[in-house]
Amino acid sequence: MLEPLLGSKNAERVLIFVLVREEGYAREIARFFGADADSIQKQLVKYECGGVLVSRAVGRARVYSLNPRYPFLKQLKALLEKALVFYSDEERQRLRFDRRRPRRRGKPL
Amino acid sequence: MKSVKDMTNAELAASIESVLRKRGIDVVLSGGACVSIYSENRYVSMDLDLINHNFAKRREIREAMQEIGFREEGRHFTHQETDFFVEFPAGPLAVGEEPVKQIDEIKTDTGVLRLISATDCVKDRLTAYYHWNDAQSLEQAVLVAEAGKIDLDEVERWSEVEGKLEEFKRIRHRLAATRSG
Repeated sequence: MLEPLLGSKNAERVLIFVLVREEGYAREIARFFGADADSIQKQLVKYECGGVLVSRAVGRARVYSLNPRYPFLKQLKALLEKALVFYSDEERQRLRFDRRRPRRRGKPL
Repeated sequence: MKSVKDMTNAELAASIESVLRKRGIDVVLSGGACVSIYSENRYVSMDLDLINHNFAKRREIREAMQEIGFREEGRHFTHQETDFFVEFPAGPLAVGEEPVKQIDEIKTDTGVLRLISATDCVKDRLTAYYHWNDAQSLEQAVLVAEAGKIDLDEVERWSEVEGKLEEFKRIRHRLAATRSG
């Protein structure tokens, strides 16, 4: 949707993912979109260097989120939310479905 | 010319700014180093954040820094004669949603240091406090405010723009207290 503006599909994927889920790490985002993890990582680093995203270490993963201090955050969020309107209902639902409650290790599906 | 190992954070930043300026690269000191300077080192930061607000190319910055003995290590630049390390965060120069309008200058032995004002330094620290509830950032804002050179009404106006007026009202008394003795 925003590829012409953001320069690549993975750039949009990264921003849309962290907008909807509030945070994400490279492998998680790559797995969700079936994208290349290195490419997603590059986008995350690029946006962190540009001050759009911030990151923190969680275990061995580096988790990224939108930088609340980014001066264009409100406008960026509005743009991403507008883009999200053009996603299919299924895509939006998939993005929003994120199991956060605990799940015992080894529990059968 | 003072050697790098004898430079304070302000002198080192001023020296780097001068070298970059000669190459047409304009940077402004922000972040924790400004807290150190305004609080007269009651808070110590080893990190010099020189905001690359005109978006100079990384290659140009690297060449200038190498010329004065700095080595690039990931996002930072280090020098064997000092423990300070230097970063060039991308612009724009802003505090929260607003652009920084006033850039202060301090004369040092190594050149003129351009940095955000004490008032903007307090706002900069408060963005971290407001958004992440980071207590250390509030303490740093208090240290700068205690030096007595900030415009508290402006911090209040800005806090309201950021949608954080209620939070500001809760901490106003701490920022209003000036250092004694």
